[in-house]
Amino acid sequence: MKYNWKSCKLLLFVIGCFFLTACTGITPEDLLPGKQESATLESIPEYSEEPYVVLNDNEPDFAKSELTEESFENYSELDSLGRCGVAYACIGQDLMPTKKRESIGQVKPSGWQTVKYDIVDGKYLYNRCHLIGFQLSGENANEKNLITGTRYMNVDGMLPFENMVADYVKETNNHVLYRVTPLYDGDNLLADGVQMEAMSVEDGGEGVSYNVFVYNNQPGISIDYATGESSLAGKAPAAPEKQTGVIRGNSRSKIYHCPGQAAYEEMADSKNLVIFQSEQEAKNAGYRKAKR
Amino acid sequence: MIMIACVDEKNGMLFHSRRQSQDKVLREDVARECGERNLYMNAYSYAMFGQDTGISLKVSEDFLNQAGDGDYCFVENQPFSYLRKKIEGVVLYQWNRRYPADTYFPLDFADGSWELERVEELKGYSHERITKEVYKSLPDDGNMGKES
Repeated sequence: MKYNWKSCKLLLFVIGCFFLTACTGITPEDLLPGKQESATLESIPEYSEEPYVVLNDNEPDFAKSELTEESFENYSELDSLGRCGVAYACIGQDLMPTKKRESIGQVKPSGWQTVKYDIVDGKYLYNRCHLIGFQLSGENANEKNLITGTRYMNVDGMLPFENMVADYVKETNNHVLYRVTPLYDGDNLLADGVQMEAMSVEDGGEGVSYNVFVYNNQPGISIDYATGESSLAGKAPAAPEKQTGVIRGNSRSKIYHCPGQAAYEEMADSKNLVIFQSEQEAKNAGYRKAKR
Repeated sequence: MIMIACVDEKNGMLFHSRRQSQDKVLREDVARECGERNLYMNAYSYAMFGQDTGISLKVSEDFLNQAGDGDYCFVENQPFSYLRKKIEGVVLYQWNRRYPADTYFPLDFADGSWELERVEELKGYSHERITKEVYKSLPDDGNMGKES
């Protein structure tokens, strides 16, 4: 079964390459020197104590024709399993956030579980992990830009690379071509990790150039990537936290409702629903409590 | 010679032969720190500093061998720990962030051959906070020159 799926993927890749070449005019000669096709899980080495591994000698897989000095951001549609695909952007100062970040608690990426461990920094195993970091694009509660990622992947793995790009763009006012590709094994809901590629445009990569795979793992925790269930290494899976204590906010009225309050149940299906983990989180986001 | 270097929270300096970060406020502070003295660097660093620093810049790929007593050297992408006995002091700027790194600052300030003279906090242009530490080399008691 798996073999058939892989054959299918290979066929789709070949067809995709044909259309890419035919429709965009990108030829092998157009690729930057040293470029190879994007990473596949089969080519990623096993995790070995470092949150990321360098791919293709750190050379990103961009074609010359992709280099542009105009900012843009593109996000893939969710697939049939509700999973994010490639997020692709040209980061410039005009794309960066000008407002304070708001709550993203209402988004439930594929494989999402709310689960805590004492050995995890901040307790929560999973973060809603931006593919294109908020500090780069200002894109916050976009479900096409959020995957279920471990704290380790988010903070130790991805953030340092995002910082590097953000500082460079702020200091030089140049652009950085930037692509983050989540890699899933088969129908798994949780990505094994993300490939991060970046290249500064105006100086041809002299300022920023990398191509890495960041592992979506958490030392000391075993993860079932098919579902997102997890356990302390060597122990039974931990039960996700019950959501009954979750605070429901209304993004239009900026009022939040606690369990047991009059409009709490009505808010469950509201298009304006915003989820907070605590009243304090709601207050910090500028919400006030419902009177009834 | 007095070395000037930038590191992140984990003492990283470079990733993929590129500097981890930069900040125009830091460069202004480097110019103030150097004052009337020469500031040596290579072409890679000069491309970032540019001409309008208002200080005496000496640019050469061999600058570590050209700098003399009391001269400042801005070091990014070249090894310098082998010059330990010639290093009179270090001005170390620490980013308040973490970046990917594959090249790290090579000197160990806890090896007994250094004295921390002063610490300052800077508010950078793209960094909320940059910590500046100024170290003085102590007289050689046998530790000097050991690899960290």
